[in-house]
Amino acid sequence: MSEKSMKLTDLKKGQKGIIVSILGGHRAIQKLTDMGLTYDTEFKIEKKGYLCPVEISIRGSKLALGYGIAAKIIVKVKE
Amino acid sequence: MRKITVALAGNANVGKSVIFNNLTGLHQHIGNWPGKTVEKAEGTLYHEGYTIDVIDLPGIYSFSTFSMEELISREYISKEKPDVVINVIDATNLERNLYFTLQLLELGRPMIIALNQMDLAEKKEMHINIKKLQKILGVPVIPVIATRGKGIHELVNETIRLVKRGCKKPEIKYGMEVEKEIQKIIKSLDKIESDYPKRFLAIKLLEGDDEIKKMVERVYPKILKIAETDAKKLESVHGHSRFSIMASERYDVANEIFNDCVSLGPTKVRFSDKLDEITTHDIWGYLIMILSTLSLFYVIFAFGSFLSDILVNSFTRFQYIFEQFFGTGIISNLAWGVIEGMIAGITIVLPYIFPFYLILGLLEDSGYLSRIAFLMDNIMHKIGLHGKAFIPLMLGYGCNVPACLGCRIMETPRERLIAIFVTTLIPCAAVTTVILGLVGKYVGLGWAFLLYAIDLIIVFILGRIAFKVLPGEPTELIMEMNPYRIPHLKTVAKQAWFRIKDFIYIAFPFIIIFSLLIKILDITNLSVSIENILKPITVDWLGLPVFSGIALISGILRKELTLITLASHGGTTNFSMILTPVQMIVFSLVTMLYIPCIATVAVLVKEIGWKKATFITVFKIVFAIFIGGIAFRLLTLLL
Repeated sequence: MSEKSMKLTDLKKGQKGIIVSILGGHRAIQKLTDMGLTYDTEFKIEKKGYLCPVEISIRGSKLALGYGIAAKIIVKVKE
Repeated sequence: MRKITVALAGNANVGKSVIFNNLTGLHQHIGNWPGKTVEKAEGTLYHEGYTIDVIDLPGIYSFSTFSMEELISREYISKEKPDVVINVIDATNLERNLYFTLQLLELGRPMIIALNQMDLAEKKEMHINIKKLQKILGVPVIPVIATRGKGIHELVNETIRLVKRGCKKPEIKYGMEVEKEIQKIIKSLDKIESDYPKRFLAIKLLEGDDEIKKMVERVYPKILKIAETDAKKLESVHGHSRFSIMASERYDVANEIFNDCVSLGPTKVRFSDKLDEITTHDIWGYLIMILSTLSLFYVIFAFGSFLSDILVNSFTRFQYIFEQFFGTGIISNLAWGVIEGMIAGITIVLPYIFPFYLILGLLEDSGYLSRIAFLMDNIMHKIGLHGKAFIPLMLGYGCNVPACLGCRIMETPRERLIAIFVTTLIPCAAVTTVILGLVGKYVGLGWAFLLYAIDLIIVFILGRIAFKVLPGEPTELIMEMNPYRIPHLKTVAKQAWFRIKDFIYIAFPFIIIFSLLIKILDITNLSVSIENILKPITVDWLGLPVFSGIALISGILRKELTLITLASHGGTTNFSMILTPVQMIVFSLVTMLYIPCIATVAVLVKEIGWKKATFITVFKIVFAIFIGGIAFRLLTLLL
């Protein structure tokens, strides 16, 4: 596993990653962790288009995340 | 007779409403939670001498207080104390669903789990050990296939058994460190009197829940300090924000339960995955979206105008019979005004709103609506709303009424307000009749399309202004993308029907009163003086003929009435004889933008209250007149 942290939006389609931290306030953190984006959780980028939000699979289901909030999620790439 | 209250709780899209329908049949009522614009579905069932009241709580993922749905649900369960909470779980998505189950357990009510969609789980080669799940959670787990009515009977029997027998309080323990702090806070909560269980309060204090913090602070501010230091302590041990500690704990437990109880077979690519891939594709996704929505509108519109014509014709015949019987005196004229209002209501509801609700329900249930929201997210962000707001906007082209109600999918009141505001600017089917029947027919289709383009620009600009002016942060899209599934027609149809009933109660009084008003204007000849009063606006500023004043007023009842009144007061249906091309364009433009029809106003009042509804209405009238006048001056130069 590479040690470099980056934004979730920096990952490419098909890449897997692990959640490191979430930037942002109470609301953003609570909402994302409620949806299962807790720390050390593995996810995969399912879709990343030009116009659409990012779609990830995490904890057995798929989530769509707007670009703004997805950019607040700091991750590590899992090779 | 003994009475039992049951609350259905669970995530969105787990088949809660199908179970609700299976339980309650036709004994149901869809309304609002008191003082809130959140839908409340209630129903009753009778079984073995018991009257069982079933409340379908909104579909949510957690009990934080960031949305009205979440707040309502947790307040209902802890204050009203239903005898049994049935937690509906999607078996194919167990881990995520268990996260909410754990939170329900924190509220400490007697609980049953309805493990729904067992057939799909089997198809996915997910084998769930129900006995084990039951043992770990400490509550009965009933396997259910709601779409085929399987397991519903067992659910009812288990509910009654639970009430008769009583049950010990199930409790799930979290990690050691967290559990230690929770117990510590519970001890300090001795003096607090609250509907919520102590354990729930302690957990929420650790999470930093604003509502609970405020409540505790009022009674005993010292506890708040204890909880805050505890949270800080945990924060430093875990190395992560305190707001995420409880969520992590719960997901750890959920994950553990999942691994203990589920054995997974090989994963296969299924048809629904392929369908998902293509309908959210960068190019095909948009093409499919445009084609499917356009054909949908065409079908609804064609069917709607067909049915509407039939209804209007048969009512006109009825008017003839009515006048034969009651003559054309003042009283009978007024009575007819009331009937006419009802007719206007019916010819909106039956041909347009009902099919709309039905098709929208089917699209929603199948999962396609969330794909549309997904595709439109970035574009909608330009006016400060996320992708879900596109759905009411799209609906607005059919009818503003379901569209405004559809704005409830927005999470915060601020976003609801912006979405409702821009939705009322969308030309509905009735406005389309006016634009096509006037501009499209006599001036040219190009000009008609230009009007639609101008409308979109206005929506964009005003939406952006509203977004900048209204205080608050924009909410980002966080949406579960559920797999496609075959919608459950019976549930969707029933829901559409019960929503229509709700709408009739709100809107019909408005429609009938306004219809009566127009009749009075007609009888008393006040319409002439009103036309004269409006003259400075209609004639001097907008450049329209005098009789357009009363036409615009009657359009408030139903927008296509502007055309009918124009014809009757102008004395011909050949509009090229009474209006110049410029007048037609200006008239259509004003009709498109001015006051929302009376049914929409009724919905506005219900959704956002008198003040905001009045503001939007007045703003739109002034804005329409302003734009109309400018258009008149520009067009006279051009044409």
